[in-house]
Amino acid sequence: MDIGTITALLFLALIIGLLSGAPLVMVLGGTTVLFTYLLLGPQALMMIAANTYGVMHNFIIASIPLFVLMGSVLERSGIAVELYDTMYKFLGSVRGGLAVGTVIICMIFSAMCGISGAATVTMGLIALPSMMERGYRKEVAIGCISGGGALGILIPPSVPMILYGLFAGESIGALFASGVFPGMLLGGLFIAYILVRCYLQPDMAPALPVEARPTWREKAGSLKGVIAPIILIAAVLGSIFGGIATPSEAAAVGAIGAFACAAIAGKLNWSIIKESCYSTLKLSSMIVWIIMGGTAFTALYTSVGAVDFIKEVMGTIPVSPYVVLLAMQCAVFVLGMLMDPGGIIMICTPVFVPVIKHLGFDPVWFGLLFIVNMEMAYLTPPFGFNLFYMKSIVPADVSMGDVIRSTVPYVVLQAVCLIICILFPELALWLPRMLLGG
Amino acid sequence: MEGTRKILRWIDALSEWTGKAVSFGILGLAFVIGYEVVMRYGLDDPTIWVHEFSVMLFGTAMIISGAYTLRYNGHIAMDIAYGRLSERTRAILDVVTCFALTLPFLVVLIWFGGERAWKSLIRLEHDSTQWAPPIYPFRLMLPIGAFLFLLQSLAKLVRDFIIIFGGKSEAGR
Repeated sequence: MDIGTITALLFLALIIGLLSGAPLVMVLGGTTVLFTYLLLGPQALMMIAANTYGVMHNFIIASIPLFVLMGSVLERSGIAVELYDTMYKFLGSVRGGLAVGTVIICMIFSAMCGISGAATVTMGLIALPSMMERGYRKEVAIGCISGGGALGILIPPSVPMILYGLFAGESIGALFASGVFPGMLLGGLFIAYILVRCYLQPDMAPALPVEARPTWREKAGSLKGVIAPIILIAAVLGSIFGGIATPSEAAAVGAIGAFACAAIAGKLNWSIIKESCYSTLKLSSMIVWIIMGGTAFTALYTSVGAVDFIKEVMGTIPVSPYVVLLAMQCAVFVLGMLMDPGGIIMICTPVFVPVIKHLGFDPVWFGLLFIVNMEMAYLTPPFGFNLFYMKSIVPADVSMGDVIRSTVPYVVLQAVCLIICILFPELALWLPRMLLGG
Repeated sequence: MEGTRKILRWIDALSEWTGKAVSFGILGLAFVIGYEVVMRYGLDDPTIWVHEFSVMLFGTAMIISGAYTLRYNGHIAMDIAYGRLSERTRAILDVVTCFALTLPFLVVLIWFGGERAWKSLIRLEHDSTQWAPPIYPFRLMLPIGAFLFLLQSLAKLVRDFIIIFGGKSEAGR
């Protein structure tokens, strides 16, 4: 059988497996077992176990549960309440100010933990009731939380970036650094949109009445809630970007720091420690098992000659490299509507990255575009994580349709950010080059 | 029926307790690496054991907890088409994918992981590093973790059969 037919059958099997509703790890693992047996013979199945040992023995992947633990503790630490209090006091007097504050808190959370869910759930519980109470319309209140929450994977640290780095063989530090400016740009676009919209339509999100506005003394007092998160962010990201610590070391320090934050807030007790460990385990075991399946799949696909095949096909396609790049982004966007980001990265990276390198594009830049694209995956129906998170939190009279409509402007802004990053690669690549050289 | 349900509950409990036990490994992981950071960057006296010990903690926690995560339905799947089906049709599909995908993958991990672990065990293999810890307990974790996962998958398989042939009330957790 030639490699073209094998590729077609392999991906057909993946698609059928995915549609059948089996867990992603089993779709990847089971398909790999079947094809390894058929193509390479029973003794080659040893490769699957050997690759799984490789994943269990990988110090870089060990950073994933640590970043998840960090987020999981911070989610329960009461930091979000204090941050919201600060934002409320400083921004409440501006139209739409609480929504702007929510986006800023989401950005701070994004810089503290590697996953998207923590900020969405926390802000949904804290900011949403407060904004609704202050007369914010639901499309503003819900939209800013779903949109802001998705920033989690773009602003470092980021678990999807770690996954991409693993499968593309790129530096995790460089990928993290590439997300800083695009993340700030996207957050800035969200904030600008909220301010303009609320200025033009004052009833969308009223400012606090004059008599309810805090004094400067109260404002200054609320600033103490910001100190701990800023120290934590500086310690974790600073040590990675400074080239001092590996991501795993920085993540461990961050997780310990998160416990310290919870302790300072007086929230550290046995049940929080226990709950954080259990929920961290569930989430990271899910991710790491998928990595095991994905590694096995990639190893099989490589050993049947995928890289040469891809190069050969690319050599025969008579279009500009940018057309290929855009086609890939479209494919990723469509997959984003159907699947979760981790799975998409694991399936697409082994196929796309050799092509990207062959075409002469920078794989770090492509990874960044991939991640910005995945931002949209969190908000696009029918399978958008943040839509489900939000629906589970909003009052009963808010329908799924309301949630989806509220996120439309944010998806548009994410697409704008993606286009800007494609047109101006320096936005992503300048910082990694400054920090890490090369 | 009563006997079956007892076994199902026993498997659930096994997954529950092994998962909860290893979850503290992640806590240990954070503090062990934190200790190394202090020793290396603070006191300029790096350890020889943290790197290996931490990947052992990590690998063990992740592989053993597969069953625990399955028990709470935590292994994500794409439910765009699947979610619209009736409970009975879903159960039939689950049985098919269990035989076609889940069992082959786990059996390969148990078989070949077990072979590797067995070779390591009879030699009482040590890691070939300066610290040179015994590596065979860690090698054993893969077949054990995959076996726990297999047990929980079989429990789910039985529950699916109960849904297909009986009623959902019998499958209750």
